[in-house]
Amino acid sequence: MIVIRCPYCGEQRQEEELTFGGEAEIVRPLEPSEVNDEVWTEYLYFRDNPKGVNHEQWCCSAGCGQWFKVLRNTVSHDVLGVVTYDKILKAEQVA
Amino acid sequence: MSGFRLDKGGRIDRARSLKFTFNGKQMAGHPGDTLASALLANGVGALGRSFKYHRPRGLYAAGVDDPNAMLEVTDAYGREPGLRAGQVQLVDGLSAQSVTGWPSPAFDLVSGFTRFASPFMSAGFYYKTLKWPNWSWYEEAIRKAAGFGTTSNTVDARLREQRHDTCDVLVIGSGPAGLAAVDALKGSGRKVVLVDHAACVGGALRWEDAQIEGQFGAQWADGVAQAFKAEGGQLLLNTFVTGAYEGNFFTLIESRIDDTGLAAERIWKLRANQVVLATGSVDRPLVCQNNDRPGVLLSAAARQFIGEYGVAPGRSLSVFTNNDSGYLTALAALRAGIDTTVIDARVQPSEAHLEAARAAGATIKTGVEVSNIKGGSRVKGLVLSDGGHVACDAIALAGGVTPIIHLAAHRGSKPSYNAEAAAFVCPRLPEGWFAVGAASGARELSDVLAQGHAAGQSVGGTSTSVPVAKVELSMGGIEPLWQAKTGNPKKMFVDLQNDVKASDVALAARENYVSVEHLKRYTTLGMGTDQGRTSNINGIGILAAQTGRNIDAVGTTTFRPPYTATRMGAIAHHRQQDGFSPRRYLPGHADHMAHGADFEDFGWQRPDWYSDNGPNREAAVDVEMHAVRNDVGVFDASPLGKIEIAGPDARAFINRFYVSNLATLKPGRIRYSVMCHDDGIIFDDGVVACVDDNLFLSGPTSGNAEVVAGWYEQWRQTEWPDMKVAVAPVTSNWAAIALAGPKARDLLASLEPDFDVSPEAFAHMRFVEGTLAGVPARVARVSFTGELQYEISVPARYGQSLMETAMGVGETLGAKRIGMEAWLRLRLEKGYLHLGSDTNGRTTPHDIGMGGVVGKKPTDFIGKRALSLPYNASENREQLVGLKPVDQPIQIGARVLADGYDTVPAPSIGNVTSACDSPSAGNIAMALIENGAVRMGERVKIYADGQVSEAEICIPVFVDPKNERLNA
Repeated sequence: MIVIRCPYCGEQRQEEELTFGGEAEIVRPLEPSEVNDEVWTEYLYFRDNPKGVNHEQWCCSAGCGQWFKVLRNTVSHDVLGVVTYDKILKAEQVA
Repeated sequence: MSGFRLDKGGRIDRARSLKFTFNGKQMAGHPGDTLASALLANGVGALGRSFKYHRPRGLYAAGVDDPNAMLEVTDAYGREPGLRAGQVQLVDGLSAQSVTGWPSPAFDLVSGFTRFASPFMSAGFYYKTLKWPNWSWYEEAIRKAAGFGTTSNTVDARLREQRHDTCDVLVIGSGPAGLAAVDALKGSGRKVVLVDHAACVGGALRWEDAQIEGQFGAQWADGVAQAFKAEGGQLLLNTFVTGAYEGNFFTLIESRIDDTGLAAERIWKLRANQVVLATGSVDRPLVCQNNDRPGVLLSAAARQFIGEYGVAPGRSLSVFTNNDSGYLTALAALRAGIDTTVIDARVQPSEAHLEAARAAGATIKTGVEVSNIKGGSRVKGLVLSDGGHVACDAIALAGGVTPIIHLAAHRGSKPSYNAEAAAFVCPRLPEGWFAVGAASGARELSDVLAQGHAAGQSVGGTSTSVPVAKVELSMGGIEPLWQAKTGNPKKMFVDLQNDVKASDVALAARENYVSVEHLKRYTTLGMGTDQGRTSNINGIGILAAQTGRNIDAVGTTTFRPPYTATRMGAIAHHRQQDGFSPRRYLPGHADHMAHGADFEDFGWQRPDWYSDNGPNREAAVDVEMHAVRNDVGVFDASPLGKIEIAGPDARAFINRFYVSNLATLKPGRIRYSVMCHDDGIIFDDGVVACVDDNLFLSGPTSGNAEVVAGWYEQWRQTEWPDMKVAVAPVTSNWAAIALAGPKARDLLASLEPDFDVSPEAFAHMRFVEGTLAGVPARVARVSFTGELQYEISVPARYGQSLMETAMGVGETLGAKRIGMEAWLRLRLEKGYLHLGSDTNGRTTPHDIGMGGVVGKKPTDFIGKRALSLPYNASENREQLVGLKPVDQPIQIGARVLADGYDTVPAPSIGNVTSACDSPSAGNIAMALIENGAVRMGERVKIYADGQVSEAEICIPVFVDPKNERLNA
């Protein structure tokens, strides 16, 4: 059971109180009509799914409702870093 | 086995007697007994037959590690098909039954066959032999001969609940190590939870001969526990920690046992900051010929039966050992008056132990092994490797100890072999964990106490005095012996529960199953309900020897929760019925109740139909539909989603979600549309009202009300944080009723609106805010039924009175309450889609005929780009159409057969998504059919319930195709 402290409300939330939102830093092309199918499907479907450190989006859904970013080890479930959504987490900064 | 109750000793209440039955025979025990100790005290030998070879088997251990003693147990609260006798507390009136062996464990018919066949039934026998022509030919007969009892179809009467909690320190195990930690924490103010699976504290102190702080071990244990409880410590007895998960999250199953059985179970979900793992160890058997005969048991179990329960395993006991702990068993037996012989495989055992045993009267043989155990369903004696014979009726095997490291291993701690202890331990533990005592490989009581105390200090303990121990004999040293050197390996049992022999491990090694995980799966070693507690390490030792490897290089298999077998009821029972999820009631629930609503759960308790309207469902639905088409119906629409989108960017924001162009939606106007995920698949539909340029009201489907609000919020926060917009889900703030039917306007007018309800002023797809019957109201003229229809929302607290008022003033108009079933059939008559029924995970706006709307929208919306991806734009997509029957009524879920097929098997080109009998249009349906939109008037074959019938594709509008009623 993963526990993350929400960077907005400051509460320690358990997995059951949170919503997982998949990989973070997925950029939606600004002009969808101007990109080809390959670029669009890359955005839509392709994710890294690493064994190890992963950039993720989580939502404090049973709490304050805010989305934030988490750096998590998918093997040990260690939460290595948590930031508000406007920031970008870099693995090397955490390590 | 020839066990019997000793005249004295044990922690049982000899003053009271408990009656129970085994295989129908009356027996008696005492409070403090387990079913295992009581059976042994009554001289029961064979409890059942083994899994594969049907050999007689008896008690092998005293508790969770027993591979054999699986019995069907019935107490006052229910029947369980396979409980381990040592894990069942004896209560009055309990009955136990063998689950293997037919007609009886002592006389088993199948064993005659397996005795003949067993040389051929080696590892992989089933894989190799029963594959021709296929397994199903053999399955029934084999299933009958195997397994542990049958399930019952009744629900037991045990109470269940769950509880969440947190603590500073979780101490697992209340043996000397755990109690030393608790003792060190005395006065620290930490919130400590102490857990033990037994009914009382002490662990091995309950039966071992030891003194701590000048008291008997058990006395000291009780004292520490008393002080712990007096300080407010939480002591959970009869409780298993069944799993350890990341974040120091644990699941525990606590049992409450009263005088007649297991009355209740509680599942704990406990999070601990720090953990003291003091789970102790179990004894390991020695692998020798016929080591499975009833009467053979683990050495520590023999001590426990004598010390804790005052039960002797037999009149004369042989202890076969490779370590000093066997002498503790010999001493305990001798003091209980049992003739004892020690057979020590070592050439030079410890002098102190030899001397103590000799002084107590033991016969001792060193440097020899047991090469065969004689007897059938009872041990009669044994043969030694030097040719000597010993007559005895019980044999204790002391092959060393196996630390209980399961919980650490659940967390991914890798077990590694400690040569000194001859055991696997977890040297690297999860953060905040401390392993102490026998669980960490410690053998001597003084070390156990010192470790426990140190761990207690590490987790916040302030006490500095280490409890002082005094024992007569140490646990001492060990010389590993994985398999006796003499005797027949085909009769040496490694895993008793799954009948895996030393020869099977050797065969697996020869066939190159040299990974321990492959060994496990090929031979089924350690796959039983005992999880291989007594068998895994011996199996690994034998495999290491067979493959010329170090035992550490072989390693252990993966440990997984639960630690011991857990009742499904304990996990799931409290999630039944009202415990499954909270019921949500509509604001007008009392009114529905008063008029005979038959409720169904749609996320809300919604009236399906009203018995006020008819004696049964079909009759009532018919009346309700008739009212809507001819007079007026009143439908509780409160669950319908209501989300306010407010702010200067509200219009631009909402326009990015719906596939229709909302840039042109004027204040007071409403538009129907659908929204997609970014892959172009429809995930919701509904109407949007423009209240004013800064406020839009989005009406997602009832089931999606929360999801859509979350969807808006996610995009607002993550993609468009700069938009000036706020999302407010207000679904349950408002109660809503729909008035539908030709007389809906009359009914609305009689509710005293402060706004003009004339068709000119309040046309279809218009929105008005005002007051109605004196309360604030939002009224939308939209239709789900195809009739003139208004949806009225009032603050939720007026929901009940609005329903009552509308029905009161509507009486003269013939108004009826309308349930969900009539409502859904009415929409089907009109061909309005029901999201999730008429759409699936592949349906795009194009597939439901909204291609034109999408094409006209100039700006981007979520899902737009994906609609031009090849798959979404491909030919042969399933499109939503109407269906009319040609010969037989159409059933929902029917498959549409590919052209040219008159019968199944046939490829499908779609399926029926909705179907009903309409009073006005007869049997009607909607279906998703490949290229359906261009096949109007064509006939297709459909298949349901084993029958093929014919239907005609049509435009899905079965009443009022010109929308005259709608626009009235």
